[in-house]
Amino acid sequence: MDPLEALVAQIQGLSSTSSDVNRLHSILKQADDSLRSESARLSPLLTQLDPSIHSLGFLYILEASMSGPTTKAQAETAVPIATRFMAACSDQIRLAPDKFLSLCRRLKEQVLMLDAPIRGVAPMFTGLRKLQVSAEHLTPIHSEFLLLCLLSKCYKTGLSILDDDVFEVDHPRDLFLYCYYGGMICIGQKRFQKALDLLHNVVTAPMSIINAIAVEAYKKYILVSLIRNGQFSTSLPKYSSSAAQRNLKNFCQPYVELANTYGNGKVAELETFVKTNAEKFQSDNNLGLVKQVVSSMYKRNIQRLTQTYLTLSLQDIANTVQLNSAKEAEMHVLQMIQDGEIYATINQKDGMVRFLEDPEQYKTCEMIEHIDSSIQRIMALSRKLTAMDEQISCDQLYLSKAGRERQRYDFDDFDVPQKFNI
Amino acid sequence: MDFSSVKATLDSKSYEKVADVCDNLMLQVAADGIAYQDDWPYAIHLLSHYYVHDINSARFLWKSIPSSIKESQPEVAAVWKIGQKLWLRDYAGVHEAIRGFDWSQDVQGLVAAFSELYTKEMFQLLLSAYSTISIKDTALFLGMNEDDATNYVLQQGWTVDPASRMFIVKKQPVVTEQKLDHSKLQRLTEYVFHLEH
Repeated sequence: MDPLEALVAQIQGLSSTSSDVNRLHSILKQADDSLRSESARLSPLLTQLDPSIHSLGFLYILEASMSGPTTKAQAETAVPIATRFMAACSDQIRLAPDKFLSLCRRLKEQVLMLDAPIRGVAPMFTGLRKLQVSAEHLTPIHSEFLLLCLLSKCYKTGLSILDDDVFEVDHPRDLFLYCYYGGMICIGQKRFQKALDLLHNVVTAPMSIINAIAVEAYKKYILVSLIRNGQFSTSLPKYSSSAAQRNLKNFCQPYVELANTYGNGKVAELETFVKTNAEKFQSDNNLGLVKQVVSSMYKRNIQRLTQTYLTLSLQDIANTVQLNSAKEAEMHVLQMIQDGEIYATINQKDGMVRFLEDPEQYKTCEMIEHIDSSIQRIMALSRKLTAMDEQISCDQLYLSKAGRERQRYDFDDFDVPQKFNI
Repeated sequence: MDFSSVKATLDSKSYEKVADVCDNLMLQVAADGIAYQDDWPYAIHLLSHYYVHDINSARFLWKSIPSSIKESQPEVAAVWKIGQKLWLRDYAGVHEAIRGFDWSQDVQGLVAAFSELYTKEMFQLLLSAYSTISIKDTALFLGMNEDDATNYVLQQGWTVDPASRMFIVKKQPVVTEQKLDHSKLQRLTEYVFHLEH
């Protein structure tokens, strides 16, 4: 009997109970090398298997069949099979997460080869949910999914997984990429606060040496922080790695200078700076975001006026923030009122703007609901931290390290037993 | 391709749901390997994003449309013209772009619904942002001629200052639900108690 035929028979026979599936898994592991060497012969075998019943075996054979170099025509047949498998497979696939991940990566490569990233978005999402043990679990598929969303311009679809709070990460690289791509998705949807949070996670994450993802994230972090907060400070929080604190700004010089120029509050200066450095920003693909920084400066300057004046004429606003006319100033103020960025009323008759206080009085039902849900979230987070703290204080590795250091430095510990010995 | 879900959502006038229905359907047919671009209802899909104020998604959708379709389907291009005006906050331009095309039967309903919504929102914006505003600007913002605009705002209690040809805006008191039920207050009290002890 042909060994491949025998393997298919075993997959068909050993896919029901969990002990059978475990036995099948070790058989498949042994057969993996020979499967790869026969990758061209494998796809007909898949017709004899049911992806929902024989998920593990199907996964091994499908992954091996897609492992070799591929032509466009082959991708055209392989992608639909992989897509159907993603939709149909059972949780047997969690036994072989590496294989499943490799299949996802192959699927991504092949839809890119077909110039149709959108074909991978839905299957990748299905696969992601099937592999993760809970919504708090960050899988390596997360970043692949977000990348496909970016490439196919399905930004809104990408947002759907960014609302999950992540507490479990397999590899640091997964988190770096997830937060970086996630930051880009949020920038595209103009959710600047969320983008800032994600990019902040990248630049403050533990790292022993600087990596390219962190550098690119830091550039965007500077820009988004100017757009969102109107300011930027080069000092990172204390808990960020020393590699990041020492080196990141050296890799992003034009961006740090941009932030300094922004701090002066002069639109003309900022525009000149952007013009002279446009090529650098363009080569980083950040020019669009830089332009948003420039236009945010008008807003920032108008917002600053609200802190000083109660009423101001439109002409004065135009003069102070360097706009061409009173009408242009009116349109800027109007847009900011529309976006809830300032509270003001325009009096066209007198050409005046009257700045108002934030009308929120923190006593509506909606606001109480909001405060309550924030408290709930913080309480959940605090519980998680306590649990993690307890877990670490019971951890063998941690205890042996902490114990050793104590021996090294705490001389009293040596003194005590000696006294008793005498 | 089966567009019945999109059609059903349109027929039931649940316009705020059309964008999600279209987005999901597009991912579905793309995953099935169907070449959907030529038959895709791009005009409706774009409009559905405008309807829920998601101009970013509309822009990304426009970018993903093959150039052959942008050129061969004038209606899709006309819908995007509205999007451009929205993007630029050219308030009067939006109304002009809506009026500037003879919309097909399929699209008409959604365009009309969007236009009505947009006019309402513009009125709310004027209400919150202005204390006095010229008749001419009001007409531009609302996308009406000056007589219609005057009738529209007078009904809302605004008055005209004949000397300056300006409207005096009448603010409407904002009614918000402020009645707290006891369980919420109880809960907040418990938090504070917990923190203090």
